Amino acid sequence: MRHFRTLLMHELRTALLSGNTWAVGALFLALMGCIYWFALLECSRSPQNWTPIEATFKLFWFPLLCVLPLLTMRTFAEERRSGTLAALLTTPASTAAVVWAKFLAVWIIWVLFWIGFVAFPLIVDAQLGRAADARLHDPAMLWGGLCFIIVSGLLHVSIGILCSCLARSTALAALLAFISLLALTAAGGVMETLPIETWEWLGWLREPATHLRTFAHLQDFATGILDSRPIVLYLTGTLLCLGLSVLAVEGQE
Amino acid sequence: MNDVAPSPEAAVVAERLTKRYGSLTAIEDLSFSVAPGEIVGFLGPNGAGKSTTMRILSGTMPGTSGRATIWGKSVALDPAEAKRHMAYMPENNPLPEDLKVEEYLTLRAKLKDVESKHVAERVAKVMEDCDLTRRATGRLIGQLSKGFRQRVGIADALLAEPKVVILDEPTIGLDPHQILGIRDLIRSLRGKMAVLISSHILHEVEQVCDKVVIINRGRLVAMGRTADLRRELVPETSFTLVAQIGLPELAALLHPLDPAATMELQSSEGAWQRFRIVLPAASPLRETLARTLLSANISLREIAEEKIGLEDIFLAATRRTPQDLRRP
Repeated sequence: MRHFRTLLMHELRTALLSGNTWAVGALFLALMGCIYWFALLECSRSPQNWTPIEATFKLFWFPLLCVLPLLTMRTFAEERRSGTLAALLTTPASTAAVVWAKFLAVWIIWVLFWIGFVAFPLIVDAQLGRAADARLHDPAMLWGGLCFIIVSGLLHVSIGILCSCLARSTALAALLAFISLLALTAAGGVMETLPIETWEWLGWLREPATHLRTFAHLQDFATGILDSRPIVLYLTGTLLCLGLSVLAVEGQE
Repeated sequence: MNDVAPSPEAAVVAERLTKRYGSLTAIEDLSFSVAPGEIVGFLGPNGAGKSTTMRILSGTMPGTSGRATIWGKSVALDPAEAKRHMAYMPENNPLPEDLKVEEYLTLRAKLKDVESKHVAERVAKVMEDCDLTRRATGRLIGQLSKGFRQRVGIADALLAEPKVVILDEPTIGLDPHQILGIRDLIRSLRGKMAVLISSHILHEVEQVCDKVVIINRGRLVAMGRTADLRRELVPETSFTLVAQIGLPELAALLHPLDPAATMELQSSEGAWQRFRIVLPAASPLRETLARTLLSANISLREIAEEKIGLEDIFLAATRRTPQDLRRP
């Protein structure tokens, strides 16, 4: 991993100078801005049992499915198509260093996007001044939700990276990432709705299903409950995806 | 920057390399070596397995079996060390379009373990050596012509002063001026680095290389210095003769001296006839043909030995079968 820092700095620099990143960033902020705006409007019309920040974070899957694949799709699929990945791997830099550098660069960009979103409630709060309801900028929900994004983002980004490693084209990489992230996000909810308890042969799924409830994880983070199980799930999932990515790159090159 | 590394006997060793894609065998039992400082041409028809071999040697593709070493380091078992001693420029020379030449070379220098304090100096040096300083400084790689992109690829290969440079078709798509420039550049590496270069331009290989390795259908068909291969693969000598003599008379004159000599009439121009005479390797006529004709009072306008180029050697070698190679 001696070349990791060089590669990471290069990836970050390339991403920040790329028009694609700025376009995707603008799309993300526009999307989140709209969601937050509509949540604010709903709250201003009638009393709700949720805050605008809570409602916005609960829709985290929307930018996750629409925006994150756009960030990860180019990482390996594009480089493989152009041949620059093979050229990169002729240097003493290891495949693991390349995979980790690309992963971390995308994750940093993804977290920066969400940090950009934090500006919305802060702006609303600043505009309303003393008139603002304290629930409008509920810091527990805001920072807890952000922590959830940071931790779960590790797994989400690594899934996108793995899809990019497996696909030959950027479009296919984005589609694969979309389907995988959709499956992961929905898995917990779907399993919850299924009457698993009544199906003897699916009894073994009960325990894993309880760990895959992404929205419950968000709720836990937002309420300040620090459960190590989802953290372990996200970290081990990340390591698994990145390990598979290294194997995929080495196998295909 | 591998000055302290001890010099092995061979800079590149391919030992019984085999690569199979399912039922298709790309290369089989391929063995050859390149000595330190030697420039070796790697030749073969399209689809012979040249690029596959180069990719295995560069560590970008695993072989199915066999052994490849670069400067004594196994490409499969110790890839990082092998890559530290080697630079590889692939056939289509892929480069990132959105980086400036200096930025790209600086990144590559860092990845190739050039010491931080020497990075700027090395980048400047290779840019100067590859004639990039004046016309490519500050320009995005995507804006460069094919010739300059090839130069950037070669500059990248020379950055870390590797012991081994592998160049896959470095002059493909270049104009004659650019080819001359690249050829001079490669020639200047003789004695400093071992260079394995594949090319379809046989004249270029003949001009630049100390030795050639010729493969066909994934198998080695010839290897050695051009002069040695010429003797081995094209042993006969051919002459062009323009003289005032008929074919039967010429045969009657030469066959008593060498019954194996063959001759054919190629064209006639009045009384002048143009012949092609082919003499076997040990023919006594090789030295005495002109004298024999003159002593027979035959009017001669032209007599010339046909030069055997690498093209003839290549054609002879690629016509060989594996059975030919197994014969003593």
